[in-house]
Amino acid sequence: MPRKRSLYSTQFRRLGPTRRRFLQGSAAAIAGVTLANCRQNIAVQPEPEETAATPTESGGTGDGVLHVYTWADYVNDEMVQAFTEKTGIEVIIDIYDSNETMLAKMQAGGGDAYSIIYPSDYMVQQMIELAMLASVDKERIIGIDNIFDKWQDPVYDSGNTFSVPFAWGTTGLLYNTEVITDNPEDWDYLWDNASSLSRRITLLDDVRETMGMALKSLGYSYNSTDPAEIEEAYNKLVEIRPSLASFMSFGFEDGLLSGDLAVVMAYSVDALSSIDEDDRLNYVIPVSGSSVWTDAMVIPTTAPNIDAAYEWINFNLDPAIAQLNTETLFNATANKVAFDNLSDDLKNNEKLFPPEEILARCEGIAPVGEASAIYDEFWTRVTSA
Amino acid sequence: MAVSFGKRHFRDVRHGLGQRLKSLIGPTALLGPAGIWLVLFLVLPTLLILDISLVPGLRPEDTGGAYGLGNYSQVFNPFDVAFDIVYLKVVGRSLYYATVATLACLVLGFPVAYWLAVMAPRQWRNFLVVAFILPLWTSSLLRAYAWMSILRPTGLLNSLINGVSSLIPGVQLPTTAWLYTPMAVFIGLTYNFLPYMVLILYASLEKLDISLLEASADLGATPRQTFWKVTVPQTLPGIAAGCLLVFITSMGDFVVPTLLGGASSTTISRLIYNQFLGITRNWGLGSALSMVLILAVSLAIALLLKYGDRDSVKEA
Repeated sequence: MPRKRSLYSTQFRRLGPTRRRFLQGSAAAIAGVTLANCRQNIAVQPEPEETAATPTESGGTGDGVLHVYTWADYVNDEMVQAFTEKTGIEVIIDIYDSNETMLAKMQAGGGDAYSIIYPSDYMVQQMIELAMLASVDKERIIGIDNIFDKWQDPVYDSGNTFSVPFAWGTTGLLYNTEVITDNPEDWDYLWDNASSLSRRITLLDDVRETMGMALKSLGYSYNSTDPAEIEEAYNKLVEIRPSLASFMSFGFEDGLLSGDLAVVMAYSVDALSSIDEDDRLNYVIPVSGSSVWTDAMVIPTTAPNIDAAYEWINFNLDPAIAQLNTETLFNATANKVAFDNLSDDLKNNEKLFPPEEILARCEGIAPVGEASAIYDEFWTRVTSA
Repeated sequence: MAVSFGKRHFRDVRHGLGQRLKSLIGPTALLGPAGIWLVLFLVLPTLLILDISLVPGLRPEDTGGAYGLGNYSQVFNPFDVAFDIVYLKVVGRSLYYATVATLACLVLGFPVAYWLAVMAPRQWRNFLVVAFILPLWTSSLLRAYAWMSILRPTGLLNSLINGVSSLIPGVQLPTTAWLYTPMAVFIGLTYNFLPYMVLILYASLEKLDISLLEASADLGATPRQTFWKVTVPQTLPGIAAGCLLVFITSMGDFVVPTLLGGASSTTISRLIYNQFLGITRNWGLGSALSMVLILAVSLAIALLLKYGDRDSVKEA
């Protein structure tokens, strides 16, 4: 007798992860507003004693609880379970939707419980400058040799003194192939088709990515500090603003599938998992270049459970786990052994692992120092005027 | 003589003090917990915000800076080099959204509250009131998402409009993009805060003296005259309170404008969010903008309270 279809049958489960990410992401955005348990006064560096508040009532193993602060859908339940089984450490995941949100929460003292964070490259650099990161004890790390050579000495943290590379990806255009049939190739596609795609385009709600995209499409660097160039990028964004539905970093999948949105700017990790759920979608890395980002694992100086943090890093450096990560979450692993073990399908997926000639045109986002005030000024005008 | 006078005087003083202390215990016990709560979690944080707002461009990693009015002049002083009209635009937009939402809530809420309080069957009244505030039991985030699926181009509303126009031959009702427009923000805010307005107006209208309405009719007033000259003045405090609540909450609302408003709908709450969590982490400016919001809301309270009070006093 066939079993009754349950709510969890595949038909319903298909959209699961997307919806979960969508709600998680927005919950993170809303939680960010409240700057939860903002205990510290401004300008007071978090004191280590404060971290005593971390809950220790775990399953009696004495290993305690590991609080991980990461991006939505960067860790799946399967992995957390495997980790807990292996080490006896209970894991609690909190998520954020932008590097800046994470930084603000950490600076406000609301992040004292976290022992592991996943900042992107430029944010690693910024947090190092702010003395917020503990240096990584190489003696306690197992398997960092498996990381690709190009991440053994990254520009944002030379010699990986404070961070361990986790995964990387790109930023590009995600679109519905039933709505857009003429294969967009570059950022300029948005401007060329602004009137026919009116209110069916979204851009990332992220100042550096979106301003950087405009800069790149003008032939400048993502990390330009020239006020004139930044202003030109601003003018370019103003040009397209009437055609934008919104600035959003998550939650566009439903709109794309229903045809309410035609093309959105998205991170590869989100785009590829959406494509995995529905093959009407496609992702393209623009030919004039996009941003290529690396997310790393770091231990903040306030971390209450350093032992568990090292366990977590070593667990993620395990090629089998890194492989699982890429297979289920679609972040491009920085682990060479894991990469070699991937199926040819994934290995040759140019959207996930773009070939070198495409990567050569891409750029990593780097801190811009004092120019961040200029970025913010124009970004405020783009999003608020 | 002198001694006994002194004793009596002393006893009087002690008696007076005891009385005074006794008369203080009641209010202190009653107001103490709330007072401590307010001081700790409202007054002190507000003073902290004020303090931070007075340091131009303060970032969280700074160890302090010179006090000054730089943050405020960036928003208000057109002669300041850092001045940008965009801040005032955003403040204006927030005021505009909140005003429209408040008026919409009043216009939609008053008939409902009137019906509930005066005309609805008595045995159903409590049930209906509860039914009306039922939406408040879900998170406002979920309600905003519900509106997103209603208002989007292929959403419920446009399907409904298309369905209706397919029923009427030769007529094509226009469908528009509702989502990501100011209209979507008005709808979302009004929907969110209508229950508050209805609840407060209901409480006020429930106390409406029906015999006064009858007297007004007996004396030859038209229903319209009765409404404007008898019903409205009696419920004016309720109207003021309802408007106040809706205005304040929609002025500071973050979820609705962010999710429904689209690319050019930034309100002051979003702007403050960006100062704290954005790239510059300009907590000084963010705090100054918070103070502007607090000030705008306080001004609204003062104006409405004054207006409401004066009229209810005049009527009395």
